[in-house]
Amino acid sequence: MLLEDNWVPDENLQIDVKYIKNMWNCFDESALEMMLKLSDLSEGFNVLYNLEALTIGNSKCDAYLRTLYALGYKKAVRVEYDDDLRFKPEMVAGTVAGYVNKKQNIDIVVMGRQTSDGNNEKTPLILAEYLGWPCITQVMKVEPVDENCLKIINETDEGVLTQIVKTPCIISVGNVSESYLRVPTLKDRMKLGKQPIELYTPEELYENPENIIERVELCNIEKVDNSRSGIIIEGNTPKEKAYKLYNEYLKERLEKL
Amino acid sequence: MAIISRDKIVEGLVNILGKDNVITDEKVLKESSIDRYRKYEQVMEVYTQPIPAAVVYVHSTEEVSEVLKFANDNQINVVPRTGHSAIEGGLETALEDSIVIDGSTMNKVLKVDKYNMQVTCQCGVPLQSLDDMLREQGYTTGHSPQSKPLAQMGGLVATRSIGQFSTLYGGIEDMIIGLEAVFPNGKICRIKNVPRRAAGPDIRHIICGNEGALCFITEVTVKMFKYMPENNRLIGYKLDDMKLGFDCLREVMVAGYKPSIARLYDAADAGMHFSSWLEDGKCVLIWMAEGPAGITEATEKGIKELMSAHPELEPVDPKILENWFAGLNWGPEQIAQEAEEIKATKNIGITTEVSGSWDCIYEIYKTACDRILEEVPDMTLMGGHSSHSYMTGTNMYFVYYYNVVDCPPEEEINKYHDRINQIICEQVIKYGGSIVHHHGLGKARAKYVHEEYGSSFYMLDTLKKAFDPNGIMNMGTLIPLRK
Repeated sequence: MLLEDNWVPDENLQIDVKYIKNMWNCFDESALEMMLKLSDLSEGFNVLYNLEALTIGNSKCDAYLRTLYALGYKKAVRVEYDDDLRFKPEMVAGTVAGYVNKKQNIDIVVMGRQTSDGNNEKTPLILAEYLGWPCITQVMKVEPVDENCLKIINETDEGVLTQIVKTPCIISVGNVSESYLRVPTLKDRMKLGKQPIELYTPEELYENPENIIERVELCNIEKVDNSRSGIIIEGNTPKEKAYKLYNEYLKERLEKL
Repeated sequence: MAIISRDKIVEGLVNILGKDNVITDEKVLKESSIDRYRKYEQVMEVYTQPIPAAVVYVHSTEEVSEVLKFANDNQINVVPRTGHSAIEGGLETALEDSIVIDGSTMNKVLKVDKYNMQVTCQCGVPLQSLDDMLREQGYTTGHSPQSKPLAQMGGLVATRSIGQFSTLYGGIEDMIIGLEAVFPNGKICRIKNVPRRAAGPDIRHIICGNEGALCFITEVTVKMFKYMPENNRLIGYKLDDMKLGFDCLREVMVAGYKPSIARLYDAADAGMHFSSWLEDGKCVLIWMAEGPAGITEATEKGIKELMSAHPELEPVDPKILENWFAGLNWGPEQIAQEAEEIKATKNIGITTEVSGSWDCIYEIYKTACDRILEEVPDMTLMGGHSSHSYMTGTNMYFVYYYNVVDCPPEEEINKYHDRINQIICEQVIKYGGSIVHHHGLGKARAKYVHEEYGSSFYMLDTLKKAFDPNGIMNMGTLIPLRK
């Protein structure tokens, strides 16, 4: 956990988080587990899913990619990038698009909907634009149908939607109820986790770097004020305060339940 | 066991304590039949142990006395409890129709005696609130176990707990001044508060560590220390192997330094704590000097000097460690989150703590880890750390995670947890360490009590027979049940 006092942007507007435990982005974690579950289900549907994982970042990401190898991902790819990625959804989407076009055999791209820093929820949609594929947002669950289709359940403003979607498509993963990624055994880490990670530079993957326009310039960052308004209930005794709390604030709400 | 029916037990308790203090709600009873040793059963809400007849809340020493007398007369097993944070089965109700006596309602701080540097409190005072209150006034108990947000004073004494700053302040046994406890026949005993005495054996140690198997602790007086966090100095290093790490711990302890923290993490355990800055495969060594400025400065200097003889050690920014340490304790939120994770992933993490002299601790660590990895299926992490060091040796806190695979919740304990515990205990006994460093024997490790005690088991057994002749106090804890 980052203490409030330690949230101090440096001259490059970066926050020092080196003492905080690294973890998966929660939407990515959901997406990664969703793919493993899809793969688990595939047997009954006579479909084979070849899972690949791609990340953009420095060598610190390799431990995570090795974990994915150990969990049964067939290929782990890292695009070497050591710079600030927080507000560059075009760059991320462009890189992924480059990889998809290069490989030619990818027909589903699954992504967490947003990072906790950039928080813009744009990347999957921009990627869809670059590739000309449909994008389903706020996905909660995916099930196999056949070789060309997936059953996708997602949240919409109107409610939960279940649809059969033809591939290729992009899945932007939202709030999944069980989002934890399974844990590989040490034996699988030994057996599978040591496969080589495929490395690229962004330049190798951008098809038309000039098309990737960064639309945002980072000028400043400020803490979001998460404090909630509140009322301090006055009273001479705890009983009096509890009485006020119940009668003035809770009673009506509780009666509605 | 009990010579009266479940209904009669409840009736008798209601007569003593009143209806409101006798809980027979099925959910509460089920949750009170176990502790965190059966964490998987707890999370999956599958209960395999006998469900107690009642959980009762007590408000005074006299009430405890009356309940114990009632239980003793009717041969009802009693499990004393305060914070419910036990993790070695000490709170399991191993016999039918037990009574869980919950002392968390005895939660008053009775006296803060700043002149004599001691604080007296009832058994249900949460350590966190006691220490927070003292720290506001410039004092501390010096006791800081990871369970601080959960544990209460009675349970901390009953299990011979220890805190993260023990290398300076000692374990709870070094902090206790006086005590009050109630024995199964209802007898209330008070041990007075004096700095030291040589009037026969130190009878505080009949109470301290009794794990509820001899008496119910109602009141505790512990030392206070001046709290001077502004003088704290953290020192950290990265290193390649545990053997060197143990040697470093030993050097500092043997040289006579008293850091408050002396911790050594192996690569697996360190990977979980320090993944953001630590390279794969590295161990971590951490020291903290605490106390008056002159002492902390000298301690820091001395430790650094000793460590400088090992060029293999790579210093770590103390700021990183400071922030990490601030988030180390476990409260209700962490437990709730852990439960969710376990349910979703069927991956569970457990710890077992042991101790050994300097000449065997590495072998204990190495051979136990190797055997577990070899013999137990589905392990996802095996490692540990040393977190409490002494002139003569140190502890080893094994940390292990495994996936529960093809195994119903009620079988998990046999397939995994007990098996791992057994391997650790066997290796510790083999090399001459102690199978319990600070969580208590509970019921999980009671089965190894004969190997642990050797010929001195006679003394423990005699204490049990003398103080609890009817066998009503937390049966199965310390001494295993005959089956």
